Amino acid sequence: MPSFKVLVVDDEFDFLETIVKRLQKRKIDATGVGSGLEALKLLEETSFDILILDVKMPKMDGIETLKEIKRRWPAVEVIMLTGHASVESGMQGMQLGAFDYVMKPAKLDDLIEKMVQAYERKLLREKQIR
Amino acid sequence: MKENFSGRSRFVNYLVPLCLFAASWPVGRTGGALYALGALILAGLSFFLFRHLVHQINQAEQRSCELDEQLIQSQKLAAIGELSSGIAHEINNPLAIIGQEVEWLRHLFETSTLQEEKDRGEFSDSLKQISSQVDRCRDITHKLLNFARKMDPVMQAVELNRLIDDMAALVEKEAKLNNINIIREFQKDLPLVTSDPPFLRQVILNLLNNATYAIEANGTITISTKDNKDGRVEIAVADTGRGIPKEHLKKIFDPFFTTKPPGKGTGLGLSICHGIIQRVGGTISVISQLDRGTTFTIRLPIAP
Amino acid sequence: MSSYKPKVLVVDDEARFRETLIKLLNTKLIEATGAESGMEAIEKITENKYDVILLDVRMPGMTGIEALAKIKKIDPLLEVIILTGHASVDTAIEIMKHGGCEYLLKPCPVDELTARIDAAYERKVTRTKVKAKTP
Ligand SMILES: Nc1ncnc2c1ncn2[C@@H]1O[C@H](COP(=O)(O)OP(=O)(O)OP(=O)(O)O)[C@@H](O)[C@H]1O
Ligand SMILES: [Mg+2]
Repeated sequence: MPSFKVLVVDDEFDFLETIVKRLQKRKIDATGVGSGLEALKLLEETSFDILILDVKMPKMDGIETLKEIKRRWPAVEVIMLTGHASVESGMQGMQLGAFDYVMKPAKLDDLIEKMVQAYERKLLREKQIR
Repeated sequence: MKENFSGRSRFVNYLVPLCLFAASWPVGRTGGALYALGALILAGLSFFLFRHLVHQINQAEQRSCELDEQLIQSQKLAAIGELSSGIAHEINNPLAIIGQEVEWLRHLFETSTLQEEKDRGEFSDSLKQISSQVDRCRDITHKLLNFARKMDPVMQAVELNRLIDDMAALVEKEAKLNNINIIREFQKDLPLVTSDPPFLRQVILNLLNNATYAIEANGTITISTKDNKDGRVEIAVADTGRGIPKEHLKKIFDPFFTTKPPGKGTGLGLSICHGIIQRVGGTISVISQLDRGTTFTIRLPIAP
Repeated sequence: MSSYKPKVLVVDDEARFRETLIKLLNTKLIEATGAESGMEAIEKITENKYDVILLDVRMPGMTGIEALAKIKKIDPLLEVIILTGHASVDTAIEIMKHGGCEYLLKPCPVDELTARIDAAYERKVTRTKVKAKTP
């Protein structure tokens, strides 16, 4: 397993706690925060490779957070996670540069596989630009 | 193309000595009847050879016509894309100035008391209008400059069937509400493709979204994948929607071409798809029949 | 503390853009001045203290990216916001490599710009504090 840092952003506390625990059990360096604003705050201090971002959150929603993240940290790969499939927000997310748009409930193994691919992409792009 | 020509010359290499052999061998030995038979064989073989050659040449010509057309189409689109993103850049600067002047005018207006009551209403209405039109232009230029469009692809291994299935699942819920069925006809042992996964997701989503829009309600979308066995894989998205009139077919990939009502679509969906597919080394084409449906076909190189 | 106005330098080769933006920012209680080139910006930074710089990417003479590298050398704590009509992720990533800064696409409503400047200023204050603590 390549070593990358993941930040999970979700306003549902139970979900957040469980997924972070399960990822850590798999030896993945995972952190969780409960809102887009907290995610932005944390990104200012710590760097992450991958973000798992819930689409539907109060105040600052996932799409807005994605926009902000791609503006300020374009190298971070973002996987959008949603409970309500919406084509509109899916197209928006992909257009704004998300790596993937995944529906809940997602199997942990699938999610990890996607993270591995997203991380591979991040490394490849960094190599490409250099 | 190369493959084809060398294939044909190998065929000729076999046939010519065989004919010569058939023609010359009987002459020295038994003469007469056998010679005639030899000539017949020769004639027959040359006929087949000739027909085969003509067929091959015709096919090659047709293919090169298609290739020319593809090439012209993609060169045209590349030129339009280049031009429009150049224009978008240039327009953003004057747009920024217009936007700021409006804000400044509004500031002056709000702090002044000179205007008549009824003029005030019109004045502020005008200002509102100018700034909302600036916003509209801004939406267009920003969409045109869509970050992804300006970004180099990052090539990595993709499980196409799975990628497409994910996107289909995303569209499926909303489609079902309008009684639109999504059928998957995936080839099972499709090879891994080296391409840009998020770009491909964007393309598939766009095609699926266009298809559901074209059907409106009650119909099917069939997504299929197959290995073309020529180093390429093929993805087809077929719908049973309204179809595309012949005179539109050449324009649908152009940026800003749309038949949606004003303000509803930007007409950038397919041009973004085309740009993406081109940059990952593939081709995209369309076949459509009015009132019957439309099929978009993407061919992607397995390795870049 | 609340009476302090963030000092902003607007670097853009287009005079009218610069001038009106400065007037607008001044109405939002931000103290703004202008520079018409990367060179002028560097001169001004060496002579005066600024909190936030708004920087165009495409300017004749020195490009914004070259200017950015020099600016960060002179004053690493200065917050930089790239404000440009030209968008590209690759440029954005290149820009980010020169140290934390933001990337905004023109045209950008002044309210949004003001919000970004305030946020950038806040970041600067925290970073200055952190730096003061660590020897
Ligand atoms: N599957 C389809 N069936 C029928 N017509 C189609 C189909 N796909 C595209 N078209 C035609 O091509 C036009 C251009 O499509 P494109 O996706 O580029 O823009 P749009 O869908 O109109 O707008 P946007 O994608 O911005 O919402 C459409 O307006 C429509 O007329
Ligand atoms: Mg469309």
